[in-house]
Order: sequence, then C-alpha cells, then structure tokens
Amino acid sequence: MPTDNQIKKNAVLEARGITKRFPGCCANEQIDFEIKAGEVHAILGENGAGKTTLMNILFGLYQPDEGELYFDGEKVDFKSPLDAIKKGIGMVHQKRKLVMAHSVIENIMLGHPHAGEILNFKRVKQEVTELCEKYGFKLDLNAKVWQLSEGQRQSVEIIKALYRGAKVLILDEPTSALSPPETRNLLDSIRTMAESDLAVVPFITHKLPVVLDISHRVTVLRNGKVTAQFATEGATEKSLAKSMVGREVIIKLDKVEVERGKPVLEVENLSAYSEKDYLALKGVSFTIHEGEIFGIAGVSGNGQEELAEVLAGLRSATTGTILLDGEDITRNSTLERWRKGVGYVPAERNEVGSIADYSLIDNVAMNYYFEEEYVPRGVINYKGLRELTENLIAEYNVATPGPDVNARALSGGNLQKLILARVLSRKPRLIIASLPTQGLDVGAIEFVQNKLLQAKKDKAAILLISGEIEEALSLSDRVAPIYEGELMDIIPWTDAERDNVGAMMAGIKPKVESL
Amino acid sequence: MKIAEHDIRLVKRVELPWWNAALISIFSIVVALILFSLVFVHSGVNPINGFKEIFQFAFLNRNGLPLTINRSIFIFLCTCAFIIPYRAGLWNIGMAGQLYAGALGAFGVMYLFGAKGDPNLYIAPGIGIPLMMIGAMLAGGLIGGIAGFLRGRFNVNEIVTTMMLNSIGFWFVSYMVKEGGPFMNPVGRSESFDLPVSVRAPLIFGIPFTLVVALLLAVLLYWVFAKTRIGYKIKSYGHNPLAAKYSGINPQVIPVLVFVLGGMIAGLAAYHYFGAVPGVFKVARNYAEFGDLSFYGIICGLIAQGNPLAAIPISLLFGGLTNGGRFAQGKLQMGFGVDYALLGVMMITMVVLQFFYRYKIVWIKPEKEISDVGIIR
Repeated sequence: MPTDNQIKKNAVLEARGITKRFPGCCANEQIDFEIKAGEVHAILGENGAGKTTLMNILFGLYQPDEGELYFDGEKVDFKSPLDAIKKGIGMVHQKRKLVMAHSVIENIMLGHPHAGEILNFKRVKQEVTELCEKYGFKLDLNAKVWQLSEGQRQSVEIIKALYRGAKVLILDEPTSALSPPETRNLLDSIRTMAESDLAVVPFITHKLPVVLDISHRVTVLRNGKVTAQFATEGATEKSLAKSMVGREVIIKLDKVEVERGKPVLEVENLSAYSEKDYLALKGVSFTIHEGEIFGIAGVSGNGQEELAEVLAGLRSATTGTILLDGEDITRNSTLERWRKGVGYVPAERNEVGSIADYSLIDNVAMNYYFEEEYVPRGVINYKGLRELTENLIAEYNVATPGPDVNARALSGGNLQKLILARVLSRKPRLIIASLPTQGLDVGAIEFVQNKLLQAKKDKAAILLISGEIEEALSLSDRVAPIYEGELMDIIPWTDAERDNVGAMMAGIKPKVESL
Repeated sequence: MKIAEHDIRLVKRVELPWWNAALISIFSIVVALILFSLVFVHSGVNPINGFKEIFQFAFLNRNGLPLTINRSIFIFLCTCAFIIPYRAGLWNIGMAGQLYAGALGAFGVMYLFGAKGDPNLYIAPGIGIPLMMIGAMLAGGLIGGIAGFLRGRFNVNEIVTTMMLNSIGFWFVSYMVKEGGPFMNPVGRSESFDLPVSVRAPLIFGIPFTLVVALLLAVLLYWVFAKTRIGYKIKSYGHNPLAAKYSGINPQVIPVLVFVLGGMIAGLAAYHYFGAVPGVFKVARNYAEFGDLSFYGIICGLIAQGNPLAAIPISLLFGGLTNGGRFAQGKLQMGFGVDYALLGVMMITMVVLQFFYRYKIVWIKPEKEISDVGIIR
C-alpha cells in the first residue's frame, strides 16, 4: 500500500488490518495502528480485549489471518519470534524468562551473536555497561539473577532486548510488580529510550495514571477492535477508563461505614520461612475485627505471600499464634481452617486458586468437596453442585458459555469472579484476599472490590493484601505497609497518606510525627 | 496448508467425546497394521494372511482365545495398577515388583496353611481363595506403599523407587522359590510349590472367576473417579498439586493412597496368573516374563488416558496381539521378535496418533467462517 507508506513516513512498526480469529474468544479484528520512533505508545484494554493476541502477533508468536505488518515501511512476515527479534522487536513478558542461577551478564549474552563460541565477557560487559549508563539502569552485572528484586530482573530483560538491537520494545504490564520508587526509575528509563528514538509500547491495563504519565499516544482495544486512538495529552483517567470499558467507571470508591465488631483474627508474633529457606515473615502481630478490612500494602516478595499462606494453613508458622474467634488455629490443617470459616482467595488464580482442566463445577467443588451437604457419604452430588455453580455464575456475572466449560477457557477476570464467588459463598468469618484485583480490567476490579465491601457489611473480617497503594487506601479501614517481613506501621485510613505509605512500602521507616 | 481452494488447519480440541476417542484409537490400530504389513512383506509373507493368522488364533481359536483372555485380564489389572497413580499425576513403573510381592503374598498364605509339599491338602475354597487374594493385595500394596510414602513424605521420585523395587522384588522371589528357598517346589524346578487342588480358582466357561473381578473393578474405578470424593481428591492432586493443597487435600497422603491401591491391584494380577489361570497354579519359573508383561499396563493406561473402561478393549487387543503374534511367528516361520515388533509398532502408532485427542484437522471451504469452536489462549 504505497499511499499509506507515504503518510506514515516515520512509523517504525505498522499494523494494517490485522485480523486473527480464534473461534470463541480473544480475536483481533481489523486492527490498524502504527508506532513511531521516539514514541511511547500505550495499548489499553480490558482482559480479553485482544491485547495479548495483538502483542503475540507483533512478536511473531502468532501469524495473523489477515492484514499486514510493516517494519520501517517494508512488509514483514514473522514466522517465529526469532524473525521478530532479528528485525529489532524486543519483548519483555510479564513473567520473567531468565536463568535464575546465572549472573546478569550471562543472561544478557545468552543467545547474543557477540557472545561468540568462546565467551567474550570483556567485550559484552563493556557494551552492556554503556547501554546501562545511557538509559539509566543501575545493575550489578555480576550479581546472580535470583538475588535481584523483581524490578531489577525486569531491567535485565529490557537491557537484554536493547542489547539485541531492539528498535521497538514491547513491555507487558511493566509496572505491575514494582514498588513506587522502582516504577519512577523505570518510567525515567523509558523516557530516555523514547528520546533516543526507540519506540516503546507498554501494554497496560489498569494503571491508568502510568499511561497518563508516560505515553504519547494511546490505542484502546475493546472486544478485539480498536475503539479509540488519541494523543494522551488532554486525556484523563476517567476518559481513558470510559473508552476502555465503554461506560462510566467509578474510580474512587466511597467508604462503607460498618460498625467494628469483636475481634475475629488475632495474630501474635507470627514468623515463617519462605520456600527458599529464609525468614520471610518476622514476628508480625495484628488484629482484624468483624466488619473491618485490614490492608497489607507491599511490593510482592516482602513476606505478604507467606503471611497469607500461614493464615490459610499452607505454610507452617515458626513462631507465634493465630486465633480465629478466640480459638487457637495455629496447628490446624488447611481443611480444618476452611471448615472453621477461613476463606482464602490466592493471588495465583491459575496456579493455586483453580484447576485449569476442571469444569467450573469441579472448580467450585474445590471448596465444597468436604461438605456432607454436597458430598453425602463420599459420593458427590453433582446435581446440587451444578445448581450451586449456576447460581454463582449468575450472581457474579461470570461470562461463560455454561458451567461445564473448563476453567482454562475463562479470562482472568472471570476466573477471579468464580474463585471469589466460591470462597465468599461459604460465608467465611475471615477472608484472606491476596492481590484480588491484580491483572484485572477496570470493570472487573470494580466488581471484585464491591463484593469485598459487601462481605464487610456482612460482618466478615477481611485481610486485603495489595500491591496498589490506591486500592489499599480506598478499601481498607486500617493499612499496614509491609517491608521485608515486618509491618512498618498500622495506620487508620483517615490518617494514611499516599506518599507516606509508599515510602514505608519501600522500607523507609515512618516519620516520628506520623506515629 | 492449502489444497486447491480448501484451507486445512489444525485446531485445538475443546472436548473429546468418547466415541471420537474410540474412532481415533481404531484409526491408529488400522494405521499400525498397515505399517506392520511392511514387515510381513519384507519376510515374504502376505500381510493379509499374516494378520489372519494372528487374529484368528488370538480371538477365534478354541485354544488361543482362553490364553488371550487370561493374558488380557492380567494386562488389564496391571493397567489399573498404573491408572490409579496416573490419575494422581504419578507414574507407577513398579507393577512388576508389586506383582512379585503379590505372588509371594498369595503363596505365603498357602505356606502358612501348610500347603507346601502337600498338593492334596484340603482348605475350604471359600476361605482359602479370599485369603490368598487378600495376601496378594496386602503384599502388593505394601511394596507400592513404600514408593508412595517416599514420594509423599520426602518427594523422592516415584519412577526411580518403583524401578528399584522391581529389582528387589525379582531377586526376593528368586530367593524364595529357587533351591533351598522356603517356597521351593519339593521337586526342585526353580519354581514355587504347587497350589493345593482344593483352592484352585473356580472357572466360568474355562475362564477363571478373576474375569468377573476385573470387570467389576473397571466399573468400580470408573465410578470412583467420576463420582466420589476420594476420586475427586486424587484427580485434583493429579491436575494441580498446589491447588489441591490449597483446597485442603493432604499432599502427603494422596501418593501413599494411590500407590497402595495400585500395588494391591498389581498383587491381584499376580494372584490371577499364578493362582487362578488353569495349568499354572504356582509361581512359575518364568515369572520374570510376567514382570515384563506387566509393563504393557503402562502403555494401555496411557492409550486409555486413565479411563478404566476404555482400558478393557485395549487390554484385550494387547493380550490378543502378544498371544497371536507369538503363534503366527512360529507358524509362519518368521524371525525372532516379530511379535514384539508388532506390539512396538502398535504402541508407537497409538501414542503418536493421540495427537488427535488434542487437535483436529479442519477443512475450511472458501468464503466460509470456521464453524468449529476451539479455545486457544
């Protein structure tokens, strides 16, 4: 198409009429957009809007059914990611793809032509150091990757892509695992990259402030189609959310005032080891009351995962006690805790919270198989479970063809709704909700948050673990920032300030006057 | 790929109705037979003739059919011994060892009755036979349980332990039945003492009653996995151990449970062949051949995708092929190992074509939407 080429002279990567059909779900339909050099281009969309598919097409993992890709004005046909990498497309996935036991430099040179058959560390190191300096990444090239924080690991992947000569860098949800200071550093680096004429595409779903902060242009996807494309200047959080979801979204939640009842969960001096055998949780103590949401705000990897697991009975406590309604449950098994009214919504909804190859009915059974009502004398009453599942699907608006489809077929938001429905339907006394809105789109976030507030009205005690300060502050009655296994402070929401909490999440001790 | 105007694509299946699975299996059998024809042709045998000999002896011959059925029962029981741990995501490679233990368990019961050296001893069959079966199952379950315990408690790889237990089982039987061993046949032929006539298994149309036991077991297992809490727990652990633990299923107990159950059924297979098949009634000298035969349980279990009902026809097929293949090899004077070659070709073809359990080929006529529904993420 010569005419198009003339118009988009400085476009590095262009997509023209990209269509990818998957029978059933996540298609792309007639997607047009172009990325110019020196531009940060955000792609916004709900779960299942087709972002992942589009990204996989750009990176050569999928081939489009229709439509063309142009790179520097030349038509390209990526058969595999290798073709895309060779052309200069770099991709940083949400899940890290690094060799943990290797050092940073070893990871960066893995597969790089300059590495040579006999490893030329000196040359690679020099070149990588230059890159790091240019874009403002501070990394110890000899450190092992397992020693790094999540944010540093992401930087390694970015440098790896840049070192392979990426001209277009695709970042998938780049800020989701970062602490506020890390986010700031990353955004600075992205700006530097854009200034040096690299095109950057962060795929961001729910961090609207980040989109506003950094991107020059936004392409909004809905149901696989481009619904809007505009310059970020002049856009607001509200307008972005609206074009993404297709309706007005309430971004700020109103506080739900519930009278605080008697204590439900009392935790005293609780410690636990992590999977890697270091003390991840160091003697935390707190109490949660009926009708109270207690927020733990922290960057992942600071002991909150271990805390949730210890409370759910999945990890043993090395010191301390857990009281549920005054009863000591520290030594109880997971099953006993479920029976006594602990309800756990895990952060890893695919790996822990559901079984992908099970039908939705069998997934609901995960929290009911031990109840005589649904499994009298050891024989499962599938009729009853089906009814229960259908009711939950209806009540929680889970988008699914029916209860018999496998959980694998649900999008992240719908799966989370199902898990939440299953756990909340048990009317638990204590709800442990670990990153309940992570990776969800704006509409689903709103839904999940409202359900938690509803549970609060129903007198449940809720432990909310969140990586988002806004969420922790807007939902919780009290917030405790967690850093390296310790609660930095416990602050009533009325006194909590965003910056203060953010600083504590990053390990800065509370100022004296805030105590 | 394009052929003329038609577009051909591979599409991931969302679900697999049982008749589709059956059709794919039949298709793979046909493909295997066609491939194996080359071996016949190479040996100068008309393939149609060759297959006729195999299948006629295996399924239509008055002498061959009972042999086929007895072997098939044995293979089927070994398949079940494999399937139960398989549904929990664990690999039982130790049917042989569990089977050896089961054989010793069954004959150990008879030894306690004082049956050694007195083939005419009367033991009430209503007591003796169940006790032998229980002895076989307990011994098999015990050996299986060791692997299960090590897996559940210490996360020791079950493939390694079951393989090692096979060796232990093999030499232990050898010690027990060969010269000087406690179970030695008084006539001294490197096999165990004979089973007293009074506790030889009742036959139905010349087939031991263990056929009924096996069929009941198939239905029972199918029901357990489809409808019961215990089956649900095993499947959950098999699909996703982390999710199973999250929902309160004890991850240390399930491996023990499935390996004890699997070992018990392997023990039952030992009872079937050494205590119930007419003409054997002892731990035979060639017991190691049955250990080898038990490995067909793995392949049958994989082809049946862990479904105990589907395992019935598959066990019958493999039982028939081991039997008919050996016969045809002798009759047609073909080279050594032709029967194994046939089984090998069959296994590989069936496993490879299981690809179509997960994918299907869709023809797309020009100017038409895909009518098929598949979900790819």
